[in-house]
Amino acid sequence: MSRRTVAWVALAAVVVVTLAIVAWPRGGKPSAAQRVQSVSSELRCPDCESQSIAQSSTETARAARADIRTRVAAGQSDAEIRQAYIDKFGPSILLKPESGGLGILVWGLPAAALVLGAGGLVLALRRWRREPHLRPTEADRELVQRARPR
Amino acid sequence: MKYRARWIALAAGLVVTVFAVVLATQVGTDPRADANKSHLLGQNAPALDLPTLDGGRVGSSDLAGKIVILNFWNSWCIPCQEEHSALADFYGRHAGDPGFAMVGIVRDDTDGAIRRYVAAERVPYPVALDPGARASLEFGTRGQPETYAISPDGVITGTRFGPSSVANLEQLLAAARGQR
Repeated sequence: MSRRTVAWVALAAVVVVTLAIVAWPRGGKPSAAQRVQSVSSELRCPDCESQSIAQSSTETARAARADIRTRVAAGQSDAEIRQAYIDKFGPSILLKPESGGLGILVWGLPAAALVLGAGGLVLALRRWRREPHLRPTEADRELVQRARPR
Repeated sequence: MKYRARWIALAAGLVVTVFAVVLATQVGTDPRADANKSHLLGQNAPALDLPTLDGGRVGSSDLAGKIVILNFWNSWCIPCQEEHSALADFYGRHAGDPGFAMVGIVRDDTDGAIRRYVAAERVPYPVALDPGARASLEFGTRGQPETYAISPDGVITGTRFGPSSVANLEQLLAAARGQR
């Protein structure tokens, strides 16, 4: 196996291990309190700007946290709770765009741009590598020498 | 693949085009436009059971079969203060109708401040408190003032976010009567 192949294999291994560490589920099943915190942090506080229900201290945000706690205790899934809030307030209650419909563009376009950028970079690097590595000749050195101010 | 660079350029162009189309169709529209309308319009009104300022209670059973105007407000809210005279005039016009009810629901205020305001401004309609903001949440309120019209069969027929004039309130009433 050539040194170059070893380098590529090592790079691929690093990428796979990093992705595995990032994507690996942690800590098993979340507790009820963790779920309340998680869902509350995904929903916009209805009567304040750019704060989540988890962050806000308005009366409505406190009511919403209590409501989410009740829904979690009643066995509703995170998706069901989110949907209940979308039904009541509309999609703008979500702090993160939805992953379906038009929202998929918000997630998909940066990923597509990243892949295309990486592809373009690989092509450019290959092309640059194919170009001859020119070394200065004696004539070139003399030319530069003559052009230099004395 | 032959002409790989061209394919990548084509794909990049496609991404840029899609992005441009999204921008062209979305920019200029308020992404939170749906924050200014009620998503409960046409649905059954959430159940109510609230303490009133005079020590009683007001609930869905008291309001059943009537056209109901609910106004969510706070004493410290300037737009709420601005619409107060319109609400009082409107209530005066219809208070004698046995099929009509109007309730002011305090969203987030102190008991003392509300009592002082109601006494000073002589608020003529019943005022209910919303401890724990349960009703405010159930109605999907986003602030104050917000006014909801409920038909005699319990359906939300109209909403208004922001201060209302008498004409606005009459429109809400007409909608609740099915006269829209």
